[in-house]
Amino acid sequence: MNETKVEQMLRAAGACVIALGLLLVPVLFPSFLVYQFSLTLTYAIAILGLNLLMGFNGQISVAHGVFFAVGGYTTAIFMTRYGMNYLATLPFAAAMSGLLGFVIGVPALRWQGLPLAFITFGLAVLVPPVALKLEPITKGATGISLTKPAPPAWLPGDQDTFIYFVCLAGIAVCVLLAWRLMRGDTGRSLRAARDNGLIAESLGINLSKVRIMAFTTSAGFAGFGGGLFAIVNAYVSPESFQMTKSFDFLVASIVGGITSISGAFIGALFIVFLPDWSADMNIALSGLIYGGVMVGMMLVARDGVVGLLGTLTRAAIRRLLTAPRSGKSLSAQTDEQPDGRQYQT
Amino acid sequence: MTAPILQVHGLHAGYGSIRVLHGIDFHVDDGEIVALLGANGAGKTTILRALSGTIASRGQIMLDGKDVSALGTAARAQLGIAHIPQGRGTFVDFTVEENLALGAYLVRDKQSIRGALEYWFGIFPWLAERRDQPAGSLSGGEQQMLAVARALMAEPRILMCDEPSLGLAPAITQSLFALLEKLNKERGMAILLVEQNARLTLKIAHRAYVIESGEVRLTGGAVELRDNPLIQRAYLGI
Amino acid sequence: MQLFLQQIVEGLASGAIYASLALALVLIYRATRIVNFAQGEMATLSVYVTWQLNQWGVPFALSLLIVAALSFVFGAFTFRFMIRPVLGASDHTMVVICIGFFIGFEAIALWVWGADPRAFPRIFPDHVWIIGGVRLTANNLGILATLCVMTLALSALFRFTRIGLAMRASAAEREKSPLVGIPVETMLMFGWGLAATVGFVAAALIAPSLFLSPPMMVSVVIYALAAATLGGWDSPAGAIVGGLVVGVAESLCATFVGFIGNELKVGVPFALMAAILLVRPQGLFGTTAVIRV
Repeated sequence: MNETKVEQMLRAAGACVIALGLLLVPVLFPSFLVYQFSLTLTYAIAILGLNLLMGFNGQISVAHGVFFAVGGYTTAIFMTRYGMNYLATLPFAAAMSGLLGFVIGVPALRWQGLPLAFITFGLAVLVPPVALKLEPITKGATGISLTKPAPPAWLPGDQDTFIYFVCLAGIAVCVLLAWRLMRGDTGRSLRAARDNGLIAESLGINLSKVRIMAFTTSAGFAGFGGGLFAIVNAYVSPESFQMTKSFDFLVASIVGGITSISGAFIGALFIVFLPDWSADMNIALSGLIYGGVMVGMMLVARDGVVGLLGTLTRAAIRRLLTAPRSGKSLSAQTDEQPDGRQYQT
Repeated sequence: MTAPILQVHGLHAGYGSIRVLHGIDFHVDDGEIVALLGANGAGKTTILRALSGTIASRGQIMLDGKDVSALGTAARAQLGIAHIPQGRGTFVDFTVEENLALGAYLVRDKQSIRGALEYWFGIFPWLAERRDQPAGSLSGGEQQMLAVARALMAEPRILMCDEPSLGLAPAITQSLFALLEKLNKERGMAILLVEQNARLTLKIAHRAYVIESGEVRLTGGAVELRDNPLIQRAYLGI
Repeated sequence: MQLFLQQIVEGLASGAIYASLALALVLIYRATRIVNFAQGEMATLSVYVTWQLNQWGVPFALSLLIVAALSFVFGAFTFRFMIRPVLGASDHTMVVICIGFFIGFEAIALWVWGADPRAFPRIFPDHVWIIGGVRLTANNLGILATLCVMTLALSALFRFTRIGLAMRASAAEREKSPLVGIPVETMLMFGWGLAATVGFVAAALIAPSLFLSPPMMVSVVIYALAAATLGGWDSPAGAIVGGLVVGVAESLCATFVGFIGNELKVGVPFALMAAILLVRPQGLFGTTAVIRV
């Protein structure tokens, strides 16, 4: 049995554990925490989108809060103005954000690297003022209140639990989609475009198409998450989408591991639970911890928590498989890419 | 008998996991021009980079009898190692005058800086004429002359040149080598010269080492190496 | 017409502040190829220290001078202990680290001094001149004058001094500079120190009008980023021109363009940045694009 096999099994096992854990949340935790977990899931969807863009396609974005906001507002507006069913609004939320993503993705071709970070940062800052300005539609500072969907009679559990499962279903869809995108040809094109554009082009990959598609899809994910967020939170306002949201997503993506699906969950947990937790201790502390973690991660664990776990597990596996009696270590076949990053679920 | 200016024992160096030098020994005496010859990829450039501290290395590097192998590049420059790297040894975005000023960075005495400038403007009037032009606007040969001038502003103990003739027309190469020879004869400048152009180099060098695959293959006086037909064919492509 | 001129004056004054911070950003970028998003937050911390010293009885002018020097040390230390270890890392890594600093430094200010805004003493007297119907405050003129003096001083440093030359060389040719004996990392440290002082000046100039609070410089940073991008990241002159242009454009658009008004004026630097990146990515005065293929 070689290392890769063991690693794959462990990874599958890990994914199962996570999935099981997620299913059991309503059982294990009180209502308020269930609500927070729902929030976490909506963020995780946005972060997943960000991972697609940053980790897999190498384009940096500090604007995912914007796409998230667009999705959230779309859902809110469609529900209140047009009386649409909450579930039906979600595809629209994703589509609107995706459209915005497309609109940005096109000029983004010229803005690769740092300039893209600036532009997306600028966009993120613009959200609250624009939301305020478009008062007729967005109700400005008052915000839009939504009614939480009532669970159907035949489902056990309360409203929070129901909403939680809706989010869970949502993220399951997204994870599957992301997983499919990351494997196969699309994934390869994405990564090729990221690692070496010139070579990718010579291999027949249309760089522009791939990059724009990455942006659009990534934004769509965030919009979907934003729509769910609106439902979970039952309220949207400019306050919900400050520039810090975009930073939070960026932090979460890095902390979890920007090329990792499960990393999106870990990152989301980080940005939802850490502020509450450290605010209890000291209000400035969460900022310090955030900042410290970001810097620390870059110095020590560039591939985030998941990457770190991966490295440690691999080391452990190697140690275990190089048993004294066999005497020889089995060759490692890992998915090492030129920049040393690993790809994982 | 005075100690050699530069003495190297067991020099090992490489790039990452690629080992290039496998234990090089050589020395340069006061007032000598020593050539390092060999084919592309033999490790000649690596030797110079290891000596100036641009890359890490293992082994003894004695400058004027003092081991400098633990020192950084700037410290070695301070002790008198002048390295003109491969390519253009000039600061291309800076003016001619700024290049010379940079070369004189370590010199505190304004008088000697002025004196050195006068010397160089004397040998190369065009340097004075173009003092405010960016070094990158000079021709290849002019840039190499400027690089030499820059390197000598700080009155180094030894001048190390990495393939100065690279990309230069034969006539310019002749002038450049004439300059090096002049510096050696008039000022007793010790020069370590890495070159692929063996014929010209052996005309001005006193001794030479032939490097192959990161090791010293052969050494001897310039004259005997030049006249040895076997060596000519095998190593020097003459 | 009067209003137009008035807005230009106001725009120039705020532009001078953007220009100062942009200058700090460009200094760091030229030296180490890093965009230090946290420059504004570091400056805010320095201004807080000034405020604190003043609170403890140190004369205001002296506090400013002391902290200007301390900022230099702060910048140098930040480079030495937190940036130098990761100098070779990728763009993404650097962006994240700087964002980390951004969040962290603001948190420190929050922790020590709390979130309540504080009044910062005026640097320039309260005088107003009225010329041709246009109000010129001593503050506006003072800010512009400070920018001029600072620019001249820095130019002189870089063009006429040995250390200025060494700093420029360390930034432009990191591998060749040690060959002439220049201690490159020390020079880079100086660059960061200098940038920190320049950033401090920017923050100190704006603090009296904005009220001192932890996120004080956040919006200024956006303008400064746009200014530097507009001017060209490898051009200090560009940073200054860029800053002034951004300031004036913002002021004019806020007053004369209806739908932008005061609420959306933060969109002006953004639009300028987006435009210049499409039309001339290296900026008005820059030579190489920040973009890497």
